[in-house]
Amino acid sequence: MENIIEVSSLAKVFGNQTAIESVDFRVKKGEIFGFLGPSGSGKTTTIKILTGQLTPTSGTAKVFGESVSQLKNSEYRKRFGVLTDNSGLYGRLSIYDNLKLYCDLYDVPLSKIDEVLDAVNLKQEKSKKVSTLSKGMTQRVTLARALIHEPELLFLDEPTSALDPTNSLHIHDGLRALNEKGTTIFLTTHDMQEAETLCDRVAFLNNGKIQLLDTPDKLRKSYSDSTITVELTNEEKVILPAGSEGANQLFNYMNTNQVVTIHSNELTLGEIFVQVTGRKLA
Amino acid sequence: MMISWKRVNAILQKDFKDFSRNLAVSSVIFVPIILGAFYGRMGVESIETHFLLINMTFAMVAAFVQCCLIAEEKEKNTLRGLMLSPASTADILGGKSLLTFIMTMVVVFFTAFLAEYKPANIAIITLAVILSSFFYIALGTMLGLYSKSVLEASVIVMPVIIVFSLGSFITLVVEKYPILQVVTYLPNIQLIDLATKVEAGAGFGDVLVEFAIILGWVIAAVILTVIIFRKRMVD
Ligand SMILES: Nc1ncnc2c1ncn2[C@@H]1O[C@H](COP(=O)(O)OP(=O)(O)O)[C@@H](O)[C@H]1O
Ligand SMILES: [Mg+2]
Repeated sequence: MENIIEVSSLAKVFGNQTAIESVDFRVKKGEIFGFLGPSGSGKTTTIKILTGQLTPTSGTAKVFGESVSQLKNSEYRKRFGVLTDNSGLYGRLSIYDNLKLYCDLYDVPLSKIDEVLDAVNLKQEKSKKVSTLSKGMTQRVTLARALIHEPELLFLDEPTSALDPTNSLHIHDGLRALNEKGTTIFLTTHDMQEAETLCDRVAFLNNGKIQLLDTPDKLRKSYSDSTITVELTNEEKVILPAGSEGANQLFNYMNTNQVVTIHSNELTLGEIFVQVTGRKLA
Repeated sequence: MMISWKRVNAILQKDFKDFSRNLAVSSVIFVPIILGAFYGRMGVESIETHFLLINMTFAMVAAFVQCCLIAEEKEKNTLRGLMLSPASTADILGGKSLLTFIMTMVVVFFTAFLAEYKPANIAIITLAVILSSFFYIALGTMLGLYSKSVLEASVIVMPVIIVFSLGSFITLVVEKYPILQVVTYLPNIQLIDLATKVEAGAGFGDVLVEFAIILGWVIAAVILTVIIFRKRMVD
């Protein structure tokens, strides 16, 4: 499959502070790629380099097959959208007026405004002044703005960090629908749950380096032992090993109707992260 | 460089709505008008006084307001959004300058009208005023791009207001200290010289030097602004 982002040996040093060192990865066209790491690990720095806002100290970064320095060209700018943590909205203007500006800048018909506001659950609020909105609402407006021109590639820097669970789920649905229509999504997050449900592949970033990169499924499998936990009617929890010994025990429990629940002992992405990096997210 | 009127107009419309709700900055435009009305009542005779008002309008409206508008876009991180959009440098700088230009023209007109300034040759003076405004708008843009916040911008722009508003006083000082002769090449002094010549009956051909010097300032300021803007696009 075609790569939409290609990064090799990418490094960025601020003064004597190394933000990222030697980062390598590829994002395939059509996937949702999760860039996971605790704060300060270099997620925002990577997005800034990939969108031409920051020049790398060394290494190469290509988007749409072109070096990121080419992204200044307005034809490329129409092809990607960015949501970053600092909102960049006009506080004295309404939600509608903020989005109208972006429709005009991107040559998009104004009818798109209602459509994207629907996707972020803000259609009723469109005449509200942005400065009066809550943090979560502001984040949703920023998201609406990032996808108003239906970009091929969407960079989302912690898109749901300020959202309550209901709105996060709504946004996740919207992002999945967008992805199904063909938008490639590069998403940073420190929310492992979000990465697990949304991403096709995830990269673990720690101290400016990628520690691990694979599908959530494969990661879980390769970091799990193959034991299972069985909860019995007497509220006891027993861990059964793989192989005939465990199978026999399970057979006995089931045969005597003692089983309440059975769990495979897969690690969550969060647990794998802690195991790999020795540090917790967020 | 391509310019898209649709994008310029989008930024202008946005700025107009935003500015009209930003009383802290927008109220500044009334200062020259009020002073104009005041001088008009007193009866102003000299060209210097008329141009004290006009140069003050340039400093307060063209430079100060523009500086604050740009600094606010920087502070609120909205400039980044414009830079990441398909809008070109010309679209953004043009769009961001248009509101200030229109306001400067309106305020100069009302101030001059209220102060009862009747130029001997309205065409030459209008052209010179338009050309000069470009310099101050570019200067305001530059200072705005330099500052990190509106507060910082309003401090940085103060010396500019003082130097350019008080043009006629500078000339008095220069007469005492010949070493300051270079100051007379400043666009505000050139504008006063030009207007004085026009009042004495000069035509276009007689003020070409003054026009050329002002134009030189405009070109230099615009080029510098574009360079600084381009630099600001990448951290
Ligand atoms: N403009 C900057 N100047 C100096 N250091 C910076 C700058 N931007 C980021 N950093 C540093 O680089 C590291 C990575 O930051 P960042 O990319 O923002 O991390 P994340 O987005 O994962 O939280 C941090 O240690 C941060 O302090
Ligand atoms: Mg960040």
